[in-house]
Order: sequence, then structure tokens, then C-alpha cells
Amino acid sequence: MSDVLKGNFDTRHRVLAEKKEETLEDRFEMEAKKRLGGSIAFVSKKKVMWDAPKGDKS
Amino acid sequence: MTATRDGRLLLGLQQEMGAMTAARTLQMCLANVAENEPYIARGRTLADLRDLGLGLGDSAVVIAAGPSLRRRDPVPILKAKGFRGAVIGTESALSHCLRQGLVPTVCVSVDPHPLRIVRWFGDPDLDDQRLANDDYFRRQEQDPGFADEKRKNDELLALMAEHGTSLRIALGTTSSPDVVRRVHEIGMQVFWFNPMLDDPDLPGSQTMELYRRNGLPCMNSGGNVGGACWMLASAVLGKARVAVTGMDLGYHADTPLLNTQYYYEALALAGEDRVHEMYIDIHNPHTGEWYYTDPAYYWYRSAMLEMVRDSDCETHNCSGGGTLFGDDIRWTPLETFIDGASA
Repeated sequence: MSDVLKGNFDTRHRVLAEKKEETLEDRFEMEAKKRLGGSIAFVSKKKVMWDAPKGDKS
Repeated sequence: MTATRDGRLLLGLQQEMGAMTAARTLQMCLANVAENEPYIARGRTLADLRDLGLGLGDSAVVIAAGPSLRRRDPVPILKAKGFRGAVIGTESALSHCLRQGLVPTVCVSVDPHPLRIVRWFGDPDLDDQRLANDDYFRRQEQDPGFADEKRKNDELLALMAEHGTSLRIALGTTSSPDVVRRVHEIGMQVFWFNPMLDDPDLPGSQTMELYRRNGLPCMNSGGNVGGACWMLASAVLGKARVAVTGMDLGYHADTPLLNTQYYYEALALAGEDRVHEMYIDIHNPHTGEWYYTDPAYYWYRSAMLEMVRDSDCETHNCSGGGTLFGDDIRWTPLETFIDGASA
């Protein structure tokens, strides 16, 4: 399968996939964002209790 | 000159708050659940709590630990009025209640944080290193008594020794193992639930996986413990009228940024030059006062407004201040709310 995906033609110029370098700032921002979330999840939907045996309260 | 808190960065982050919360807490939550399993297996559940029929009448009062808890203290009013409905307290408001001789009907804890939450129950292992590692309680505005941390901790240990066994707690399975051990050591009456970590109806849901493993009811906790208290009062206890107190979801306009709960995180993300853009000023039309809030509290506020809008419960904000107001929330003095209770 992977051989098929390689393609069956040659290009005039060597093509290199553009890979954006992750900067120190990017990593810093990602780490900071991880620390900034809420205490616990909020699930945005009307069903607030999920308790199959006793029936749910939607 | 004070920089403008225009919320430019705060508003841009709101769409990401759910993902950021998951990135920060999901693995911690799952690890906590696994470690708590021996305790979970021997506890009661939120369904048992529901079946107790707690609190007389149709009304409940939630006590959260925002700045208005002290500025407009609900505890003396509840006592003076002889309120007999359910009183649901965040764990962070517990010491405030107990110090004044009010034992909440139920308290709630959901936050998985490994070190901080246990402090609300009195931390027997509090030492100089723990104090040095985290200035959260010295900075934060929720309870200034915690600024004198060792004395406060000793006081809380004594309160728990006196009242612990009469306290019920709705405890998230995701809570820190330190909290779980402490709660059991105190002898509190534990009622377990799984905080919803994601939509249980979606394929691959972690919430559904937890439910399959432990069979516990799953409750949407609204992003924080205050939201969880409101949810418990309305959806679990089935109260038709719920008042929230101490639920500011923000700060008085004159509070220094340093004293806000997520200041360091905001500073790390925005830098000193733009940290003020992580906050937004909000005018409360009911009090005529200005408040401001940060990304997490703004998200909690949005969650509360959405949950209230989708609920049949009549919700009153009796905090007397803060940012939590909207079309579906009645702004009511606590005395008036209590006078309207059916019991």
C-alpha cells in the first residue's frame, strides 16, 4: 500500500514537504495554554446526568 | 496609568478552553480514578444521595467561595432565617461555613489538582516545602485567612475533627488521591460520581468508559466546583429553586491582577506587556459596580449561563456582586429568596 502512495512519476525538482519548525515560543504558548484551562470539563449539551439504571435527567 | 482590561486575548481563547482543560486535566483525571478505585468500590453513589431526599421544600442554596462570600456573607442570613432547605457548599467554602456553625447539607469536590484541593480539608502533611512550592493560597482572594497558611491549616484540622463525620460529600472520582484519603480519614460520608469528561454519547467517550468500569452516575460539572454544586442542587436533588451565593466568577475592579487565581498562567501566556488583555472588565447592571474576570472564570460564567438556560430550575444569584448575571438568572437578595422558599 505504501508503495502505491509513493507515486509513479518523477518530478523535475526534488520536492520537500514543508515542515514548520516549532519555535520555542510555540512550545511555550502550548504549555501555558495547558495550564490555563478550567478545573474540570464542561460538556455543552442538555443532558446533564448520565445514569442509565436509574434513568437520566435530560 | 492602569492598562485596559479589554479581553482581547481572553475572548480569543474561549473557543479553546474545553480543549485546554482536557489537555491539562484529562490524564490527571484518569490516573486519579485508577488510584481511587479501592475507595470507590466501598462508597455510596450520587444516586444514593438523590434518594435521601435532602433539604426540606423546593429550594436550595449553593455557597461558593468567591470574594462576595465575605463581602456579603450568606451564612449569618441562612442561620438567622432558619433556612431548612438544602445547603450545597463547595469544598473551598467549607471552613467558612463550619467556623460559623453552619454544616452544609452536602459539599462537593471535583477538581483533580494534586496538591491544592486537599488544603480545603486541612492538610495533615502541610510542611514548609509544600508551602514554598505554591503561593496560590497566599495570593488568592477566596479566603484571606488562608494567607496565614499554617494557622489556618491547624484550625481546619480541628474543625474537621469536630464535624467531619456529620459531613456529606459528593466526590468526583477524578479527585486527587490525597483528597480522597483525607476525606476518608476525616470520616466524611462519601457519595461518588464521575464528572463528565466528555460527551458520553460520542464514540470513544472517556466518560462512558468510566461508567462501564465503575457504574457510577456521571454528572456534568460545568467546568468547576461551583457549577457542580448548582448541578447537584438542580439535577440530582431536583430542587425547583436554587440560589447561588459567593459565586462571583470574577474580581472586584480594584483587585490587583497578582491576586487573581490564574495570574501566573496568564502572565506566562501573554507576557507583562499584554497580560491585561487576558482579563475583561464587566459592568454589573444590578449593582452598578465594575468587576473583571479572567479566561477560566469567563468560561465558567458562560457554562453557568448555558446550563441555567437549559434547565427547568429557577436560578437566583444572591451573591450581591460579580459577573454572573443574564436573562435567565434572577438577581435576588438572599433574604428574599429564603422568604419565597416553600419550607
